[in-house]
Amino acid sequence: MSSDTAQYVNPVGQDLPRLEAREKITGRAEYSDDLSLPGMLHAAVQQSPYAHARIVSYDLSAALEVTGVVAIFTGDDIGYDYIGPFVHDETAIAKGKVRYIGEAVAAVAAVDQETARRAVALIDIEYEEFPAVLSIDEAMAEGAPLVHDNFDDLVRTYEADHAPNVMSLMQVEEGDVEAAWAGCDVVIEGEYETQAQCHTYMEPCSALADIDANGKFTVWSGNQSVFHLQANIAQSLDLPMSKVRCVTPRVGGAFGGKMEQTIQPIVVGLTRKAKRPVKLTLSREQDFEMIRSRHPSKVWMKTGAMKDGTIVARKVDIRLDAGAYGDDSPGVAGICALFCRGPYHIENVSVESRAVYTNKLRAGAFRGFGGPQVAIAGETQIDEIAGRIGMDPIDLRLKNAARPDEEWLGGLVLSKSAMRECLTQVRDASDWVKRRAAATEPLSNGKRRSIGIACLPHISGILTSGAIIRILEDGTAVLNTGAVDNGQGSDTVLVQMCAGALGIDVEQISLATPDTDSSPYNWGTTASRNTYMAGRAVVGAARSVVDQLKERAATMMECAPEDLEMRPGGFIGITGVPDAQVSYGDISGFSHWVAHGPVIGSDSLAFDGENFDPKRGFIKGFPFGRIGAWIFAAQAVEIEIDEATGKITPLEVWSAHDIGKAINPASVAGQVEGGVVQGIGFALYEEMVWDTGRLANPSLMDYKIAGTMDAPPNINTILIEEPDEFGPFGAKGIGEPPIVGIAPAIANALTHATGIRLKQLPMTPERVLNALQEKNEI
Amino acid sequence: MSEKIPLSLTVNGQTHQAFVRPTDTLLHVLRDEFHLTGTKRGCNQGICGACTVMVDGKIVRGCLSIATNCTNREITTIEGIEADGNLSPIQQAFLESGAAQCGFCTPGMVMAATALARTNDKLSDDQIREGLSGNLCRCSGYIKIVDAVRSVCGGDAV
Amino acid sequence: MKLHHPRSIDEAVSLLGKDGEARCLAGGATLVAMMNADLLAPSGLVSLRDVETLKGISIEADGTAVIGAMTNHVTIAEATEFDSGQSVVARAAAVIGHPAIRNMGTIGGAIAHADSAADYPAALLAADAVICVAGADGAREIPAGDFFVDYLETALEEGELVTSVRIPAAPAGSVAAYEKFARVEGDFATVSVAVMLQENDGAIDDIRLAVGACAPVPIRSPDAEQILRRDGVSDTSIAAACEHLAALADPVDDFRGSGGYRLKLIPVLVARAIEAARNGGAA
Repeated sequence: MSSDTAQYVNPVGQDLPRLEAREKITGRAEYSDDLSLPGMLHAAVQQSPYAHARIVSYDLSAALEVTGVVAIFTGDDIGYDYIGPFVHDETAIAKGKVRYIGEAVAAVAAVDQETARRAVALIDIEYEEFPAVLSIDEAMAEGAPLVHDNFDDLVRTYEADHAPNVMSLMQVEEGDVEAAWAGCDVVIEGEYETQAQCHTYMEPCSALADIDANGKFTVWSGNQSVFHLQANIAQSLDLPMSKVRCVTPRVGGAFGGKMEQTIQPIVVGLTRKAKRPVKLTLSREQDFEMIRSRHPSKVWMKTGAMKDGTIVARKVDIRLDAGAYGDDSPGVAGICALFCRGPYHIENVSVESRAVYTNKLRAGAFRGFGGPQVAIAGETQIDEIAGRIGMDPIDLRLKNAARPDEEWLGGLVLSKSAMRECLTQVRDASDWVKRRAAATEPLSNGKRRSIGIACLPHISGILTSGAIIRILEDGTAVLNTGAVDNGQGSDTVLVQMCAGALGIDVEQISLATPDTDSSPYNWGTTASRNTYMAGRAVVGAARSVVDQLKERAATMMECAPEDLEMRPGGFIGITGVPDAQVSYGDISGFSHWVAHGPVIGSDSLAFDGENFDPKRGFIKGFPFGRIGAWIFAAQAVEIEIDEATGKITPLEVWSAHDIGKAINPASVAGQVEGGVVQGIGFALYEEMVWDTGRLANPSLMDYKIAGTMDAPPNINTILIEEPDEFGPFGAKGIGEPPIVGIAPAIANALTHATGIRLKQLPMTPERVLNALQEKNEI
Repeated sequence: MSEKIPLSLTVNGQTHQAFVRPTDTLLHVLRDEFHLTGTKRGCNQGICGACTVMVDGKIVRGCLSIATNCTNREITTIEGIEADGNLSPIQQAFLESGAAQCGFCTPGMVMAATALARTNDKLSDDQIREGLSGNLCRCSGYIKIVDAVRSVCGGDAV
Repeated sequence: MKLHHPRSIDEAVSLLGKDGEARCLAGGATLVAMMNADLLAPSGLVSLRDVETLKGISIEADGTAVIGAMTNHVTIAEATEFDSGQSVVARAAAVIGHPAIRNMGTIGGAIAHADSAADYPAALLAADAVICVAGADGAREIPAGDFFVDYLETALEEGELVTSVRIPAAPAGSVAAYEKFARVEGDFATVSVAVMLQENDGAIDDIRLAVGACAPVPIRSPDAEQILRRDGVSDTSIAAACEHLAALADPVDDFRGSGGYRLKLIPVLVARAIEAARNGGAA
C-alpha cells in the first residue's frame, strides 16, 4: 500500500488539481438545491414591505385553507431567542418588529413550490408603521427612532456606545496626534464614501432540513461553518445543540455572505412544525434583498508627514452603515480601526470607529472585512502625500513600511513583515518606473494609460480549529477537520498538508465532509484562516499520528520509540538501519488486531498570538481578543482611461502576497485572480442602491459584476514565501487581501494620469467624467 | 392552477418523459422532473449563465426556454458531455488548469466552452472571452477558465 | 393555459385572435424572463418556432433585405447577404446581450418588446427599415419611426404579430457602424448610436444617425443630418448636429447612467460611430 521512499514526492507546494474538480466539471457535484428527500416539502417566504414597523397581527386563515399547505412559520412560533456574533439582536425570523424592507416575516411549507408561493402571498400581516432611519446621519441624529429600542438589554460581547443607534464604538490612541500636526510639513485631510457591495456568489442561498423520529434535525445548506450554523440554529430555535446536526453539500461560493445564518433557522422552524423535510431556495432577487451586503462606509481621515517622507500622524473617523441587525458589524468596525493606519510605522494614531444601525438590509462579513473601506482612504492619502513632497509612491511606502519585529497597533507584535518585499517585487514585475513615466502622455487614440499602487495589512487566523486523523487498517487515512470548502480549495490544501506531514500520497487519504456530529470544531471559513488554522491542526494531528505509529512500531520491532524515524512513502524505520522498517499498513493491522489499538491522532488549538498590550496604546471596544498572523500585500493596477466617456478599463494587475508558503500555488493564484476581479467590481461599477429603504436593484440585470470581457486579461500573482514560524509548513492565508488594494490602486492610477481624485466608490464613468470636466473648467 | 400535460424530450440522446405545466422552463424540467441536476439555477433571468445547455448544438438559457417548446430537439446538458466516463477535451483542460473553484458556474461554462471549441479550432483570447461572455463566475476572475479553453482551441486569430 | 404550435402565420393570427391574453413565444429571451419574474402570466402561448415562413434572410431584386421575424440575432449578426449600409442591423445584432441570448433571441421578439435601451431600434431607424405585421385585418407595413411608440410600446394592435423586417438597399457605397456604450459587456446600452454614411471625395452625400437609449424611442434628427451633409464631419459640425439630437432626447436617470451623462455621451458616440463606419465598421 505504501510507495517507495525514494520515489516519494511531497505534495506540499504542488499544483494539484482540486480533489473534487472532476465532480464539478461533470455536473455531479451536489449543492443544496440539488438535494431531495422523500416526502420533501417546498417553502416560500413573505417579505416585509416596510423598513420599520411593529407586527400587529398575522392572519393565516386564507393560507391554511390552501390545499397542500402543511406548515406555516412566523415570529409567533419562537420566543425572543436572540442570536448574533457580537450582539444578540436577531431572531430566526422577524418577531415583534420588522426592521428592513425585504426582511423575511412569514414562511410556508407546502407540497410544491407553486402552492407554497401562492399560500405565502395569502398570509395577511397587519403592521403599524414607524419612522425609519435610512442613513448613518439620520440614525445618529438627536431623537432618531431606534432600530433596536431594547439595545441596552441585549447581550453583547463588547462595550458599546450609547449614542442613538450606534451599536459599537472602538477607539484607538497611540502617541499624541493633536500635538503632532503642528510639526508636519504636509497634512492631507479628506472624506471618503464607499458603497454596499453584494457577494453575488453564483449559488443563491438554499437549505434543506429534515427531522428524525427523536426530534433531531439534520440541515444541509451552503455555509461557511457547520458549527457556527449549528449554534445559531440551536440558540434561535431554543434547541439543544445535540438535536441539531449541520452538514455540508458543495457550496457555490460565499465570500463572507454565508458565515452567519442565511435562511436555515426558517427552514428548521418549518421542519419542526411540518415534521417532514423542507427545502427553501431563494430566488436571486430574494437573495439580494434578504441576506447581507458589505458595509457602506463614510471615512474621514487626516494624515500628516514630514517632507523627507516620514509619516508622523494619522487620525481617522469611521462610520459603517450596519443595517438592521448587528451581524458581524462590531468586528468589521474593529478591523477598520485596526487597519486604517495601513501597514506602516506611524507613531501617532487616533481612531474612532462606529457601526450604526439603519433600517436597511444588514451588512456583514465580506472578503476584506472592513479593509477595503479604509484602504481607499488610507492608500490614496499616502499617494497624495507622495505627490506633495515629490516622492515616488512606492518609495514613500517603503520608507514607512512596518518593520519586522516591531510592535503593531496597541502593542500587537508583528513578528515578521514581508511588506517591503511585496512592494519591491511589484515594482520590478510591473516595470513601474517606465509605466509611471509613460502615463503623463496620452496615447495616440486619445485615451490614457496609467499605473497605481496600494498596499495593505490583513490577518489570517483567529479563534479555534481542530483536526482528527484516523489510520485505517491498511495504512490509508481519514482526515476530518470540519473546515468547509467554499470553492477556494481548502479541502485539497488540507489533504496535501496531511499527506505531506505523514509522508504519504493524497490518494491515500479520504477527506470527511464537515459534519457537526463527527467533525472536530472549526470556527469557520473566514478571516483567511483555513490554511493557517485548520492546517496547523492537521499538522499537529499528524504529529500525534506519527508518535502513535512509532509507539506501535517500537513494540513490533522490539526497540524504543526514540530509535525510530518516519520515512516518506509510509514507513517507520530504525534510524541508521535502512532495511529495518515497517509500513503504516503493517503497523495499523498490528494496532487493530494485536496491541495498542487503532491510531487516532488529533489536535485542537486556539490562535495563540499575543493580545493587545495596554501599556503600548489605548484600545477600547475592540471586539476581538487575539487575532491572527499578519499577512501583507502590495498591488499595482494598470488602467486605460477614456477621458471622453470617463470609462476606466483595467488592463493588468500585479499582486504580491506575503504568504509564508504556498501549499498549492495554483490555488493561491486562483484566490488572487478572483479577489482582484471582485475588487475591480467594487472599484468601478458594483453598487447596491436603495430608494427610500427599498433595494432598488436586486437583480443581475441592474447590479453588474465583471464578465470575461470586463476582467483584465493578465493578473500576475507574486508569492513572497518567507515561512511563518507557526504556520503549517510556514504557510499563512490568502483569501481576503487580493480584493483590498484594487480600488485605491486604480484611484491612484487615475490621479497620476489625470490629476483628478475621486473619493467616492464606485468610480463610475459618470463620476470620472464629471470630475474631469470640473477640473478642466477651473 | 395549470393542468399538467405529458412531455417527452430527448436529452443527451435519451428519451425523458414527465408531466409538466405548459409554461415550465426547460431548466425546471431538467432539474426537478428529469433529476438532471448538473444544470444550475443562478438567477432565473438569463444573465448568469449557470443554466446554459445546448439545443440542437447551440447554447441557450435553460431558464428562458419553455420545455414544451423544445420537443423534437437534441438537448445536451453537462451530463452528456463526458463520454463513457471519459472527460471531454474541454473538461480535461478545466481539470488541469484549475478552472473550477466553487464549481457552480462550471457546468454552464463547460457548455459554452464546448460550443465554442466546436466552431473553430484556432481562437484568439478575445474570441474565447467573447464566447464565454455570457457566463458569470464570481470565484475565479476567469484567468484559468480562459487558460483551459485556450489549451484546447486557442491559436492565431481567425 | 396552452402552448400552441401553429405552422403558418394565418394559424398564428387565428390563435391570437381567439385569446386576447395569449402571447407570442418567439425566442423566449424576454417573454420567459418576464414570466419568471412574475411580471407576466399569459393565458396561452402561441409558439412561432414551426412557422417556417418567419425564418431566414432573403434579398429582393432591388436589394431590399427581408429578415424573417423568427430569425435569431446570431444569424443576423453573421449574415453575409446585407450590403455594407444595411449591415448596421447586423452590427447591432452582434452586440445584443451575449452568445446564448443571440442564439435564442429573435428580431421579431426583440422589437415587439420595444425596450428603449435595446440595440435594434436605433439601427432599424437609421436603416429606414419597415416592419411588416400581420393580424386579423390582414397585413400592413409600418416604418420603423412609427413602429416604436413609447417605452415598451409599439404600434402593434391586439392580435397582430411581426412577420418580417424590410431594410431597403442602402445608397451605393454606404458604410455603417453601431457604437454602444455600456457599463459592462453585454449590458443594455447606456447610449447607442447607429450610423449609415455615404461619402464621395470627402463630401457627405447621405448620412443617417439614430440614437438609442436616450428617449422612449430611438431618435433621428433631419436637422442634424442636414448639418453634417452640408458642413462635412468636424468637431464643430458634430457638436452642432448633436444639439439637435439632444433637443429630441429625453433621457432617464437609471442604473446605467443619469440623463445628464447620457446627453454628454451623444456627441462622443456620434463621432466614434462615424469614424468606425469610415474604418469599415470596426470599433
